[in-house]
Amino acid sequence: MAAHNTVATSNARKQVAAGGWLWGAVRRNGAGYLFLAPWLIGFFCLTLGPALVSLYLSFTNYDLLTTPEFVGMQNYVRMATADPKFIASIRVTLLYVALSVPLKLAFALAVAMVLNRGMRGLPFYRAIFYLPSLLGTSVAIAVLWRQLFAADGMVNSLLAQFGVEGPSWISNPNYSLYTLVVLSVWQFGSPMIIFLAGLRQIPVDMYEAASLDGASPARQFFRITLPLLSPVIFFNVVIQTIEAFKAFTPAFIISGGSGGPINSTLFYTLYLYQEAFSYFRMGYASALAWVLVVLIAVFTAFSFLTTKYWVHYDD
Amino acid sequence: MNTTLIGRRRLLGAGLAAASLPLFDFGPAMAQQPNSIRMMWWGGDERARRTNGAIALFKEANPEVTIESESMGWDDYWARLATQVAGGNAPDFIQMDYRYMVEYARRGAIRPLDEYLGKELQIADFGQVNLDSCSVDGKLYGGNVGINAFAVFSDSAAWEEAGLEAPSYDTTWDEFSAKCAAFTAGNTRTRMRATADGSGQEGLFEVWLRTQGKALFHPDGTLGYDAADAGRWFAYWADLRKSKGCVAADVQALYKNSPETSPLVVGRAATDFVWSNGFESYQKLVAAELSLVGAPVLEGGEPGQYLKPSQMFSISETSESPVQTARLINFLINEPAGAKILGLDRGVPASPKIREAIKPDLSEAGRKVVDFISKVTPQVGPLPPSPPQGAGEVNALLIRISQEVGFDVSTPEQGGVNLVDEAAAILRRT
Repeated sequence: MAAHNTVATSNARKQVAAGGWLWGAVRRNGAGYLFLAPWLIGFFCLTLGPALVSLYLSFTNYDLLTTPEFVGMQNYVRMATADPKFIASIRVTLLYVALSVPLKLAFALAVAMVLNRGMRGLPFYRAIFYLPSLLGTSVAIAVLWRQLFAADGMVNSLLAQFGVEGPSWISNPNYSLYTLVVLSVWQFGSPMIIFLAGLRQIPVDMYEAASLDGASPARQFFRITLPLLSPVIFFNVVIQTIEAFKAFTPAFIISGGSGGPINSTLFYTLYLYQEAFSYFRMGYASALAWVLVVLIAVFTAFSFLTTKYWVHYDD
Repeated sequence: MNTTLIGRRRLLGAGLAAASLPLFDFGPAMAQQPNSIRMMWWGGDERARRTNGAIALFKEANPEVTIESESMGWDDYWARLATQVAGGNAPDFIQMDYRYMVEYARRGAIRPLDEYLGKELQIADFGQVNLDSCSVDGKLYGGNVGINAFAVFSDSAAWEEAGLEAPSYDTTWDEFSAKCAAFTAGNTRTRMRATADGSGQEGLFEVWLRTQGKALFHPDGTLGYDAADAGRWFAYWADLRKSKGCVAADVQALYKNSPETSPLVVGRAATDFVWSNGFESYQKLVAAELSLVGAPVLEGGEPGQYLKPSQMFSISETSESPVQTARLINFLINEPAGAKILGLDRGVPASPKIREAIKPDLSEAGRKVVDFISKVTPQVGPLPPSPPQGAGEVNALLIRISQEVGFDVSTPEQGGVNLVDEAAAILRRT
């Protein structure tokens, strides 16, 4: 009996403690939460709230003017079975990711290695090379790109010097996507800065030891630089891939929002935008958005799973 | 490395949160008082200049009224309007298009204006046609701001240099293609062809169909033509492409439905196809003098052209200041002071009285547009029914399929079949 009582009181005490815990935490950390409030409110009201609403809307037909009508899995079923534009946009996006990410990273790494040699005026070059990344997603650059690669653009004037009459790159379905890939590669600045920081972390004496042993520069690159840089490469691959999946502005501006010619620049996000804001199918667009979230999540998870085969953490 | 990662992520989060803040626009919800009018419309810089000038004049005469005006491009406009209507804070003054009028009227988003007729709105002299074109189910839903017809814009000097006459009001479709092929032979200008590729131009396709007694859409919202019709249309343009009478597919693909991107404006073609209210903007961008005539005709065929309400001014159902808004609409479309400032930018005014009043102030190009409307009027047929939901998507589809044929991805016949199949699927869905 006595034992029973002790258990009961200790339970009661625990409950009081649990109730008081929250209050105590708020009292102790109140100022902290207050400072966090703008972010918390922003996160719950502007990010999480709309995201959950969009999850609900993805199971409805909703044209903004009438109330959403629940249709179950219909949107997802349509995507999987009866939407050639969805397939086209997936194809364009995957091709863009597969081309732009490796090219951009290779370019960034190459420039970072040149800059890592400790040349004079390094901060200047670093800033110059970084500049396109800052401007890259802007509308102005996309407009500039359209001018460069148009029928009478600078690229063709240059080719004309060599007697070649170039096509209108941005409006020819055979080339239009590649002009966007080039645009993306040109914005190599931010991965380059990260590579540069990573290269700085590799101890110089490793290279000294390797050259004493007669290792060629190529061998040093593959045996020292790449392995030791692999965590940074991994970071860049993940970030850049996510960015590439989300690419929107260049295709939107250059194709005038159409994803044309002939859907050749119909990025996934552009298709999503068209469904939502040109054709007012908010339900279907929400479903598309969630499929993109899953797609990126799966890809990122997959990247993390592969790390044990190629990413070296020196502990 | 680890710390940079987190720092980056946090930074990203903070940046995103900050970037999304402007989405929270508190303005409109608070500004609804009986004497305040919030107006929203689409259009470019020139239209903004004119509209703001007219608003300023209205405010001068009505100091008790406050007006907030916002404008944006066509695509953004419909997204924003639909969002605001859904959110219960629609603007009082809505610029409406024939394409969306039925949808907004039937859903009760815009209000019937009949109670203001003869009082705040003095637009009886617009004529029955121009009132009917702004009516749904027998009720008037907007004030007609202007009328338009589909037109052929030409650089006549370029045609003359090539030893030919520019297309005229009675040029037939066959003559047109022969003319364009002949242009190439006589042409001395580098990189210029006779005409833009019109195969993806819905307005031109519609005229072509109507001359043969068909239509883009039936009144019940189904397609008004079949695969064979569309195939013949694509074949007509494929022939012109082959004879080098029209621009190559990759030149036409640069056209983004704006004057600056038109092959005529960038000097790649001597002729292009545009709604008549675009004429002044085109003329401003081109050094050569432009002329405009009606679209090609079919010998013994039916009239292909029609007069379209370019846009209308409507009042939202939820507006708390409908009377003031109706007065503003009347000022803009039926009082010389306001209508003069708007000019022809939104189309030729429906009222004969206003047409006369604004004539002295018009530019040379403006007078040509008014002339064009009067000359084409005897050639017009009835106004087609308001297009069904999904019509915008069918228009985008027509452009895509025309490109598939243009870049030789499909034959004209196959293009016709694809167009009809996919368009039917779009119309079934919406």
